[in-house]
Amino acid sequence: MAIIESARIGALLERDELLDGLRTALADARAGHGALLLVGGEAGVGKTSATRLFFEEADRDAIGLWGSCDPLATPPPLGPFLEIVEGAPAGLSDAVDADSGAHAVAMALLAAGQRGLPLLLVLEDVHWADEATLDVLRVLGRRAGGTRTLAIATYRDDELERDHPLRVLLGDLATSEGVRRQRVERLSAAAVVRMAEGHDVDPAALYRRTSGNPFYVTEALAAGGDDVPATVRDAVLARVARLGPHATAVVEAVSIAPPSLDAGSILAVVGEASESIDECLASGVLRTDDGGIAFRHELARVAVEESISPARRLAMHRSVLLALTDSPRARSDVARVAHHAEQADDREAVLRFAPAAAAEAARRGAYREAAAQYARALRFGDDLSPGDRADLLEGRSRACYLADDQTEAIQVIREAILCRQAQGAPLEEARALTELTDYLWCRGYNGEADEAVARASQLAAGLPERRAHAYVFHTQALEALGRGDLEASLEHARRALELGERFGDETIAGHARVTIAGIHARGDLEQGIDLLEDAVESARRQGEHEVAARGLNSLVFRGIDWKRHDLVARYIDDAVEYCTEHTEDLWRINVLAVAARWALDRGRWDDAVGYANAVLDDPRESPWTHHEALCVLALVRTRRGDPGAREALADAIVVGVPREEEFAHVDLAAARAEVAWYERALDDVDAATAVMLSSELADPTAVVRLQLWRRLAGLESDTGVDSPGPFGLGLAGRWQEAADEWAEASCPYEAALALSQTDDVEALRQAHAECLRLGARPLATVVARKLRESGARDVPRGPRAATRANEAELTPRELEVLGLVADGLRNADIAERLFLSTRTVDHHVSAIRRKLGARTRGEAVAAAGRLGLLEDR
Amino acid sequence: METYVILRRAGWRTADDLAAAAERSTTEGERMPDDVAWIRSYVLEELDGSVGTVCVYQASSPEAIRRHATAADLPVDEIVKVADTVIVRTDPAPVAA
Repeated sequence: MAIIESARIGALLERDELLDGLRTALADARAGHGALLLVGGEAGVGKTSATRLFFEEADRDAIGLWGSCDPLATPPPLGPFLEIVEGAPAGLSDAVDADSGAHAVAMALLAAGQRGLPLLLVLEDVHWADEATLDVLRVLGRRAGGTRTLAIATYRDDELERDHPLRVLLGDLATSEGVRRQRVERLSAAAVVRMAEGHDVDPAALYRRTSGNPFYVTEALAAGGDDVPATVRDAVLARVARLGPHATAVVEAVSIAPPSLDAGSILAVVGEASESIDECLASGVLRTDDGGIAFRHELARVAVEESISPARRLAMHRSVLLALTDSPRARSDVARVAHHAEQADDREAVLRFAPAAAAEAARRGAYREAAAQYARALRFGDDLSPGDRADLLEGRSRACYLADDQTEAIQVIREAILCRQAQGAPLEEARALTELTDYLWCRGYNGEADEAVARASQLAAGLPERRAHAYVFHTQALEALGRGDLEASLEHARRALELGERFGDETIAGHARVTIAGIHARGDLEQGIDLLEDAVESARRQGEHEVAARGLNSLVFRGIDWKRHDLVARYIDDAVEYCTEHTEDLWRINVLAVAARWALDRGRWDDAVGYANAVLDDPRESPWTHHEALCVLALVRTRRGDPGAREALADAIVVGVPREEEFAHVDLAAARAEVAWYERALDDVDAATAVMLSSELADPTAVVRLQLWRRLAGLESDTGVDSPGPFGLGLAGRWQEAADEWAEASCPYEAALALSQTDDVEALRQAHAECLRLGARPLATVVARKLRESGARDVPRGPRAATRANEAELTPRELEVLGLVADGLRNADIAERLFLSTRTVDHHVSAIRRKLGARTRGEAVAAAGRLGLLEDR
Repeated sequence: METYVILRRAGWRTADDLAAAAERSTTEGERMPDDVAWIRSYVLEELDGSVGTVCVYQASSPEAIRRHATAADLPVDEIVKVADTVIVRTDPAPVAA
């Protein structure tokens, strides 16, 4: 047929470059260099047609799997993968069937191509993808590089608003080696002329109006007539208008049920008119799809759906709902049934299917979709009993929290707590209060959180022990820990562990183990570390990713407490790696922010900047981490004498942290004082410190720390404060002792600053050398002047970047990676050897190059040889 | 992107060393086009017979300039942000040309 023929030609024209790109990518995948290939382009430009052509062509060279994302407002979790289970290799279909999360599905996909034929996976329309599917893509993008899997994802690149989840993903993957991109462009005038051959239409007018969008061209040609319809929509409707009334009814029924409707359901909706299905297929308006009958293109479906009157649409949704409710699909595709239930305004059906769809989405890690399904149920849930309503609210709150919408999570859980009160269910209310506490802590609202803990423990006390008690006890344990009451904390955590184990709740038992081990590590690092590592290991095995992520964070904190910087470097690597792999994003940026401050204190400023920027690049809502990263950035700039310190501090103020996070406000005040001090803006030192000092500060060290800046600036300062530690020694003018304590604490810059205040030439020389090593230009200048004034000669000038780089401080992990680089392994091989993603190895290798001042891997190995870094292997 | 002036005083022993550095600078700059753009440089005749430069760059942050410098093995003495540009005359023809 001419119409189908012109569509086929349209798909082929001017697509050589794209097809060549796809072919090369598949050949690379066969050779062990897989990729995630992102194919972007506007709607109707022919992404699917070209990809489909390639897919059919590659039939014998690869295991081909094809899945599409549904254009539903709330798509089913992992929707495209459910579709491809049939015909997929066994490991993969098992992974998808078994309620697996994104990580398991992605790993199965990457494993599937390792033997025999490579795997070719096409995911269509990922701009509609659910959150779990995007997580699969994220893992594929990071890891496909070293596998025999080629994943092609098509998407509309003109419809991604700023905060679109796919846009966030594309940003995350921007630097991944295993990610390639291609764009499908509109057709040229010459191509449109070729498509118009044999039609009674002015090719020039056709090109002008359609701008070379192949879908529009095809529809305009199929609509017939001499005139080119003014819009795509007109073209589609003109084409449908040429069908008979029965066929039109079929087309309309299919239009309200994306992505496709089975023949049985069509019969149920339109009755005998369903005989016209064949006419619709022959005309090319509809096509057969795995699941039934579908539109040839989503643009056409939307045009038809929007042309149906609201009343008629409602009636049709009711018929589809009825047909689906009785079919086996009601169980396997609840998200879709829930969609029709809402469109049909059927309260009972919404309340039956939406919560089921929400639970499934949450189980698979599609939290955004889970939250939307709970919201859908709640829209119809005004008349529910308080208990039933609270169930939905709690589900929604948790999903919002996990989807990084903390503000909404807090608001919704508050409503749930009110419902639990109305219900008269004190234990459930206590449990909901523990959730509220978690969310409040996460935002730094500690005062409110502590009130919630008190109320929860009051409610739970005296009630027969249930699982919920484990959560209440653990929350009490964390609250006690925050107050510094370790004994009480340990006691509560032990009870939480006992109850968690008794009621078979591994999540809370795992959290309790981490808390207990963390407390032990405060008293005895070695013993505590063993316990913490065990707790992390058992959480890893059980797939309790949040518990493991929290445990890894805890290892970092304890290592810092004990000044075991050798361990800290390794734990930071481990924690960042694990959280990245398992999308524990809040824990990831938390440890990065801590790492930024830790590296700043160690004088490792390049690392500090790297960690801080990794936090700032993350779009997730997390005030303290961003605040901390900006403070660190400001301090690196000011200590180096680089511009932009004040700007970073101004940004930190804009981010804002709650009043209760006193330590963060002290950090900011100290940073402002330091920046102002270097700029000789003594009024600003005064302003930055006076406000904080006028309020009652809980931490005595904070007072001394701020007073010290006042003393350095020559402002009136309370030197009578008697405080141990290096700040106190400095404030008392005992600079040499202060410097010794700073050096003991591995804080080289602070040590140099303290020495710079002495009048001893040897001490000043030592401070000066240290400033040059660190790249602390402003302090070096101050010290050099002081040295010259005291008659010292031969004060050296600054060293060069290249010599500074020789002071390379590689982490144990980086040394391990460097060793493998020296052995000639590629990043993908190293990734496999160390069980890391290629992206993580890329990150390590560039850190190594940076620290060694090497431009290439060869130079890095040579530099390492010169420095003797590889001798101990 | 903001504009910055970078001082690299007495950074190279000879003009040839500087020429090699300029090549590395270009290569590394091309690897990070979103973060740094080299605008122009003035080569300084230092009193000790060595060579230095004053460079004008556009960059996303001072850290990006340092990252570029480390990658290309260039010294950095000082980075100053440019608040405004006043061009009175165009640059004279390159001295070495």
